[in-house]
Formats: sequence, structure tokens, C-alpha cells
Amino acid sequence: MYPAAFEYFAPGTVDEVLELLARHGEDAKILAGGQSLIPMMKLRIASPRFLIDVNRIASLTGLRQEGDRLVMGALCRHAEVGRSGLVRLRLPLMADAASQTADVQVRNRGTVGGSLAHADPAGDWPAALLALDTTVTIAGRDGLRTVPLSEFIVDAYTTQLGPIEMVTEISVQLPKAPSGGAYVKFEKRAGDFAVASVGVQVELAEGGQCRSIAISLGALGAMPTRARAAEALLLGRAASPELLTEAGQLVQAEAQPFADTRGSVEYKRHLAGIIFRRAFAAAVDRALGREVETLHV
Amino acid sequence: MAQNTYIGASTRSKEAPRHVTGRGRYADDMVLPRMLHACILRSPYGHARIGAVNAGEATQLSGVVGVIIPDDVKRRSRPFKPGRYAAGLRVPIPEYASAVDKVRYVGEPVAMVAAETRAKAEDALELIEIDYEPLSAVTDTHAAADPSAALIYEELGSNVAWQGQVSYGDVEQAFAGADRVVRENLKIHRYSSTPLEPFAIIAEHTPERLNIWCNSQAPEVVYEAVTEALGIDNVRVIVPDIGGGFGQKIHLIRKYAVLTALMAVKTGRPVKWIEDRSEHMMAGGHSCDQEFDVEMAVKSDGEVLGVIIRDTDDVGGSISTLTIHFTNKLNNLFNTYKVQHLRLEGRSVLTNKCPVVPNRGIGKPGMCFIWERMMDRIAQELGLDQIEVRRKNLIGADQFPYTTPNGNIHGSGDYQELLNRAIKNIDYDEVRKRQAQSRDTNRLIGISVVIGVEPGGRNAARDMAIFPESKQMPGAGGVEGATVKLEKNGSVAFTLGSPSCGQGHETTAAQIIADVLGVAPERISITGTFDSALSPWGVSSSNSGNNFHLYDVGAVHGAATRLREKVLTLAAHLLQTDKASLTIENGIVGRVPRSGSAEDDSITFAQLGKIAYGNQALLPDGFEPGLEQTYYHSHPHANPLMIPDAHGRVRAQYTFSSAAHAAVVEVDTETGRVRVLRYVIVSDNGTLINPSVVDGQIYGSAAHGISVALGEGFVYGADGQLLTLTLLDYGKSTTLETPHVEIEHYPIPDPFTTLGQKAAGEGAAIPSPAAIAGAVEDALTPFGVKVRHLPLSPERVWRLIHESKT
Repeated sequence: MYPAAFEYFAPGTVDEVLELLARHGEDAKILAGGQSLIPMMKLRIASPRFLIDVNRIASLTGLRQEGDRLVMGALCRHAEVGRSGLVRLRLPLMADAASQTADVQVRNRGTVGGSLAHADPAGDWPAALLALDTTVTIAGRDGLRTVPLSEFIVDAYTTQLGPIEMVTEISVQLPKAPSGGAYVKFEKRAGDFAVASVGVQVELAEGGQCRSIAISLGALGAMPTRARAAEALLLGRAASPELLTEAGQLVQAEAQPFADTRGSVEYKRHLAGIIFRRAFAAAVDRALGREVETLHV
Repeated sequence: MAQNTYIGASTRSKEAPRHVTGRGRYADDMVLPRMLHACILRSPYGHARIGAVNAGEATQLSGVVGVIIPDDVKRRSRPFKPGRYAAGLRVPIPEYASAVDKVRYVGEPVAMVAAETRAKAEDALELIEIDYEPLSAVTDTHAAADPSAALIYEELGSNVAWQGQVSYGDVEQAFAGADRVVRENLKIHRYSSTPLEPFAIIAEHTPERLNIWCNSQAPEVVYEAVTEALGIDNVRVIVPDIGGGFGQKIHLIRKYAVLTALMAVKTGRPVKWIEDRSEHMMAGGHSCDQEFDVEMAVKSDGEVLGVIIRDTDDVGGSISTLTIHFTNKLNNLFNTYKVQHLRLEGRSVLTNKCPVVPNRGIGKPGMCFIWERMMDRIAQELGLDQIEVRRKNLIGADQFPYTTPNGNIHGSGDYQELLNRAIKNIDYDEVRKRQAQSRDTNRLIGISVVIGVEPGGRNAARDMAIFPESKQMPGAGGVEGATVKLEKNGSVAFTLGSPSCGQGHETTAAQIIADVLGVAPERISITGTFDSALSPWGVSSSNSGNNFHLYDVGAVHGAATRLREKVLTLAAHLLQTDKASLTIENGIVGRVPRSGSAEDDSITFAQLGKIAYGNQALLPDGFEPGLEQTYYHSHPHANPLMIPDAHGRVRAQYTFSSAAHAAVVEVDTETGRVRVLRYVIVSDNGTLINPSVVDGQIYGSAAHGISVALGEGFVYGADGQLLTLTLLDYGKSTTLETPHVEIEHYPIPDPFTTLGQKAAGEGAAIPSPAAIAGAVEDALTPFGVKVRHLPLSPERVWRLIHESKT
């Protein structure tokens, strides 16, 4: 359980990181929270020759409100998100995700930026943030560029980050009231990866109709996706049990899970429909101003 | 002896402070001069023939000092002889410490590298090239038993490596007189106790002898293995603190002790090998997946007349533990029931999975699962109440000491009362009301009350009941020693004959000595951990078989009692009185009644210590100087039936704790998730020496058994790949899934043990899988679901519901 030998760098600026990436190319790897990379190195699944530890770059830390957006530095830890009053008040979906990712130790070290860049199909942040208007800011040699999260992840464990690029910020639109969201994760044991997860963010019209709705699916495909057909069905309509059953069936149809030790295709698809309905109910309750604790299903 | 002050009290733990402050001393904490670090290359295949091995590049890597490949193992070591765990083996098959010709499970050790650092050794591992010829892997007993299956050991001609049976009473007649036969197919899966500390070994070969530090629960196994394999008979085995055992560290650790020792011999330097988590998951040993076809002959009123069990054990890719899960079923063959006729047929089937090892009860959770699942099934088929069917068949409180048809003697107990109390403590009627209300929701409530025994104290002669042809008698009964010493300064030191895995042996032993000698536990300390050169050890000196409560307690009590006599003899001489007039309190020996002058009346342990080791003139004539006593204990009531009689009746173990478990669960019918809402245990562990230590054993074993039922376990792919290599994938319950376990003690002292004590270790892991299975089945009554197989993972439960609808 010892990694292969590597050379270690601890640059103080993003520019230095880019320089190191330029110099060492594919053999270099960025170390943020290290909660995925270090175990992979210890198991020798990954053996980067150069490790670029970005934890000393102060500009990448913390989270803040900028206008109508929540902006998180790439090094913002899961636990910081969970503790944020702004997140709890305006983005309870993110608070749900932050409190259920792995265990306390991982939440204190792991970063939102690292989670997105790692793009684990069962990762919580990629799935949760996809239900929100989320953008990712990327630094490269030509400066900064910003892309929507939906375009950032392109496949399992694959993003559109180039070899000489790094994530610097993640920005999330603060939803307009009355709106609410919930992220429901079905895990075999506390701290495990999701068997399946669903994020729902809904904005309600006065009559209770969905003025906007986003449904994201995690661990239900090679990468997180939006359940577009179910969203289209619900948009502009007030939810009834029949409508939700139908939407649940659409969610199940849109899920493309693969079988593993966490569950069969059939079971994961079934779960997608069940936890979608629970997430939807919690999101609507929150939109209506009701206090709803994070669901543990 | 003064009345008990400390026995029965939850005195402060002696070992916990060092463990919770990080001051425990484990094998990995130890550093020897010039020590090398070793790591092991393991098979990536479930089944393959080993071809050419090229370690040239690894050997030449800077920092690498030694490499062992299969040829070295064949040339420089001898194979293990099949031991008593493999008593049923038809053909003597040599098994070396590593694979030599074939690999038979993923993770089987193939080569070892030792280097100046562990990292270097791991680098070198990647440079060893082995040509494997992959063979088809067999991972299912039904497929393995098929004549067309790939043979795991060609010498055996079949993967069914052993078949046999035991029979008590007249089973045919019992079935002939039955109103009905209730049949069921039951399964328990593969799991492990996953101790926090995996295997750890340091070997050092000096001109005088081979020293081994290791975390073996049963040092005798390592002691004999290295002698047998390497031909070195001057061996010293030292066992430092152990980070959990549960049976995992009894058997397979010997392979690694031999490999590490061989490396130490080869390199001439001390070698440390520390197993990592994934290695332990794939090759440290699993419990056995067991399948039971059960028939119970019953009367219409629920009385069980006779039982036939056909047990298929998936023993994995080694012949070395062929029959342990079968033989251990003799220990609780009749659970708590007075049934007289039973036949147990067994077969052990080889597969390309990890070898099986003793693990928290070995075959006993399976045996209890059979009885308790069948009690529920009988009640359902006869339209009777499940608890009433149990009551009908329980051994009565007036029948103790009770001898089971296979020869086990249950010394004391009151099984009806355990049930009564469990039913009361769980608010049984109230739960039934809530259950009725839950039926309109997707959260169904279920309740189950089960009962089981926890056998304690080894007797390897048990195996002769199954293998009467055995030429060599396995060590019958038990032998264990302890030393208690009054030091020169008046403090008391003791040495146990066995290692401890963290069960509070130091605390418990000190309480016994405290009461016998009349000195506070704070003045008593252990001299150290197990050391084969210093500890008074015998065949029971292993942290297994629930040995401590019987053998170590007996030995400690015996040594302390002898020392007390010697202390009184010396004190009586010095105080010029007779022994009978003396008492000991707080380390002061005093005369009762007092004569007047304080000097004439009493003498302290410190004064006695100084005289006993230092002043011959003051000693009585013929008095052996020193105040140190060693006592070797065997169970004084090991007979009758220490060895099998003509009917195969034998004491499989010697004491029988018992407990009723009651569980309330909630099943989410949409997801299949099971939550345990309440878990109640009423436990009879005989005289409690330290209630808090006993509670700790119950909490731990209950948590494990519940987690086993709810889904932890090993999963293999069809190609023999283990898919659960990490604790995350393995799925052990966390504190969030584990219920609070509510314990009531209902102790009935054992009439035959030193203090009335009975076993307290793995006990709650034995009935708990059955309790959870029963409660889940009860919750799912509206669906008519039958729970036959473990584990009850959410998907499994969802499928049961789903399939009942279609």
C-alpha cells in the first residue's frame, strides 16, 4: 500500500501549476483533497511521476456569494459547503449532498473541484450540481474559460479539461423563491458511494405548477445526466400522484445504470423512480417553506 | 477466601487506556536492527497453473535483499501435514506455505520480496513475471460438484473433497411417527470479522533460534508450523497486542509465518511483513458459505420428533480447513431443544474462493439459523404461534444439568425464562399493535424472538465422533496455565498462558486475583503479553473456542489460591499464629481477633515480599523461598464424555451460555431497506466477573451478526475474481446502521466451573442472523415472503417482495 515513487511540487499560484503541467504533461497529476487520488496511488492504480499539490494556493479556497451566484473555490471542502448558512438557506440540495458524501474525514479534506474533475459516475457533486445552474471555471495558458457543468463532464472519469488546464472555481446560480431542491442518495451503508441518487430542483408558480424543474441522476449511467423527458412532463404542471408516477417511469427509462456490487441494472432503475418521487416531494415542501431534514432513504 | 469485592464489578479497564491513547504495542510498532520489509505477490487468477517465474529484474532492483519464488518454497520448506481441520481428507495432499504448482484462489500467495523499505519491496513486486495458464474457475458448489467441473485438486478426482455424517437417536423411527414433515432450503453466505489489524509477522533467525513476533490468536499453530515447514525446532513465538482476532488469526497466518521466517533464514536479517486490508479481504480467510436442506418431523402440536440436515459447505481453494464448519456444528447441534433424533449429513466442496477459517462461532451461527428458521416455518405450516412452538421444544429448567443426544452437557439454564424476559423487554404485544397499523403503509414492522446457546471451552476430541478412524487423538480436553507472583515490593504480577485480542483479559484476571489474594486490582498488573518462552501455556492457550472463561480463569484462580496459601503460611509463621486465624485485606495479612499490639497483629505484602525473597533466617523450615505460583488448569468436570463413547457422544464444548434475542425491524417495501428499530438480548453467561467486559463482547458480536444478516459479505464474480476488496465494497454496517443493543443479564451460575462462569465472547453473533431473518419475514407477512437465504441486502429484500407479486 505504498505509492510508486513520485516527485512532489507545492506551487503557490495557478500560473505555477500550469507551468508544471506544461513541463511534465501526462505524467503529472494535480493533488487537491486527495480522497480519490491517494487511495488510487496506494493501490498503484495510478502512479503519477509528478504530483502537484495545489493546497497552498489561497485563491482557490473558500466559498462566497457574488451577486446572485454562489462561488466556490476549487479547494472548497465538502464540509465547508455543508456548514454554509447561505447553502443551507438557498441551496438545501447542496447541503443534502455535502452531508452524505463519504465520511467526516473525507468531507473535511475532499474538495468540490476535485470531485468534479475526478468525475466518478457515482460521485455526489457531479450529480447534485447538475440539477442546478452550475458552471466550472478553468484556467489554462490562454487565461480563464467558463463552461456549464453539463458540458464539463464528458464520460466516466473524463472531463473536457485539457492537459495544461485546471479547475479554479465552481459557480452556482442562487434559485429564485419560491423554489426548493433536494438530493436523495440511496447508499448501502452510510459513507458508501450511491447505489443511485437523484437531485430535484423546482421553482413553483402560484398555483403550484412547476415553473422550472431540473432532475439529475447520479450513479445511473457512465456520467450524471438530466432526466429531460420527466422534466418536460412536469414543466408547467402541478404534480398529482398520477403525474408523479408517470414522471417516475420516465426517470426509470432515462436511467442507464450498469450492474456492480451495489446493485443490478433492474434494481438501480427501480430505485431511480422511487427516490425521484421522494426527492421531488422534499423539493416541493422546501419550496413551500417547510422545514425538511435531509432524507436518509 | 474473603467475599467477592471485585468479581462481579465493572472495574476500570486495565488495557483500554493504553489502547485509546495510542500506546498499545502491536507487531507493526516493533522495529529490530537491520530489519527488512517484505511484501507478497498474490495470484490475480481464481484458478491457474503456474508456469515460468522470472524474478531476475526484481532481484536486481536496488534495495531488494531477498526474493522467494515457488521453487524456493519447494526446495527449502516442507509442506504442512493435513491437520485436524482436514481430518476427512481422503488422500494426503501436501500444502506448502505458498502456491507452488497451481493457484486456487485470487490472492493466494505466490512470491515474496524483502527490501530495505516497504515501498522498495512493492516496487520490486511489479517486476516479477509469472506465466500463468488460466484454468476455468469454479465458484459455486453445485457447479463444482458436477463431474464435468474443472478439478481444483486433481488428486481427489472430485471437488467434493469430503462426505460424512453423524446420527443420534433413531431418526427413521422419528420420521415414521410424524404428523408432518416440514422442509426448507437455507443458506448463509461468506463473511468475515475483518479485524482492524490484519496479519503481522516479524521473523528473526539467530544462531540460537528462530524468534517470531506475530499477532496469532493460537501461537501453538505458528509454533508447530514453522518447525514442521522449516525443520527448526528451537522456536520462540511472541504475541504482542492484537487488534482483533475473532478466529481470523488462528489458521492461515501460519503460511505467512513460514514465508517470513524462510525469508529471514534466507537473507540472514530480521524481516517484517504486514498484511494490508485488501490482502486480508482476499486471502486472510472467510467464513464458509453453507447451504442446508433441512427436514423436521413434527407432531401437529409443534413438537419436533426428528431432524435431518444435509449441509453443503463451500470450503474454498484449500484442503487445510475442510471440515471445521461441519465439526463445529456438534457444539450446538440441538441448540436449546430437547429433540432426541437427528442426523447431520455433510459434504465439503472445493471452489476457487478464499479458504475458510474459524470466524466468530464457525458453524454455530449456521446451526442456530437452521433451528430458529425452522421453528418459525413449523409454526407457519401448522398454524401455531412461533414462540409457542419454541416453548414446546425447549429443554426444561428442571432438566439441568442436561445431556444432549450427542453428549453435550448444558450445566445450567432457564430457556423459558429468557424468552419471557425478551418478550417483556421488547414490548411484544405493543409491537404487534404497531405492526397492524404499519400494514397500510410502505414501512412494514416485523418482530422476531429467537434463542441460542454459546458453547465455551475447547475439546478437540470432539472430532473423533466424526472421524473415528483418526489414528492420532487430537488434544483432548484442555490444559492452560497461569502464574501469579507477589513481588518483593508487595505488588502482584501475573502471567497468562494465552494471548488476548482485546477482550479485557488483563482486567478480568486481575479481579479474580484481587478477590482471592485480598488486594486491590490497582496493585495487580500483567507481566506482558504471550511469550512461548515465558508463558505457562498448554493446548488451550489460544484466544479461540471461548477458552478464556474456562481455562484461563481456572488457571488464574488456581495460581492465586496457591499463592494465597503460601502467603498465609509465611505470615502465620511470622505472626506466630495459625493460618486459620488470618485474613487478608488490602494487601495486609491480619490476625482475627486482634491480640492488641499492631506489630503482632498484621504484616503487609511488602514486608512479606522482602522476607520471602531476601531473608532466609525468617522463613519457616522447609519453606521454598519466593512467592510465585504457577498452576495448570484442566476442566475438573471434563468427564464424562471427554472422548466419544460407542454412540459417538462427546462433549464438543464444556459450558453453555444462552440468550434470547428479540428484534423489531422496519422494512421499506419500495427500496427493500431494513432498519433495525430495537434489539433486545437477555443473556445468561453464568457468573459475571466483569459485567462491562461481558457487555462489550455482546455488543460487538451482536453488531456483527446483525450486519451479516443485513448485507455485509464477500461477493465473487463467475471468473473467481473477488469483487469486495475494500471495507467499503464489503459493506460492513457502520454505527449508523447498527441498533442500540439493550442487554439484560439473567445469570445462572454453571455448577461445574470455578466461579460459576460460562462463556462470553462470540455469543451474540450466533442467534442474531436468525433474529433479523425472522423479523424481516414477519414484516413481509402480507407478501407471503419466505426468508431462506442471507444476506438481506436491500436488493435481496426488494426482490423477495417483487417476486411475491409476480
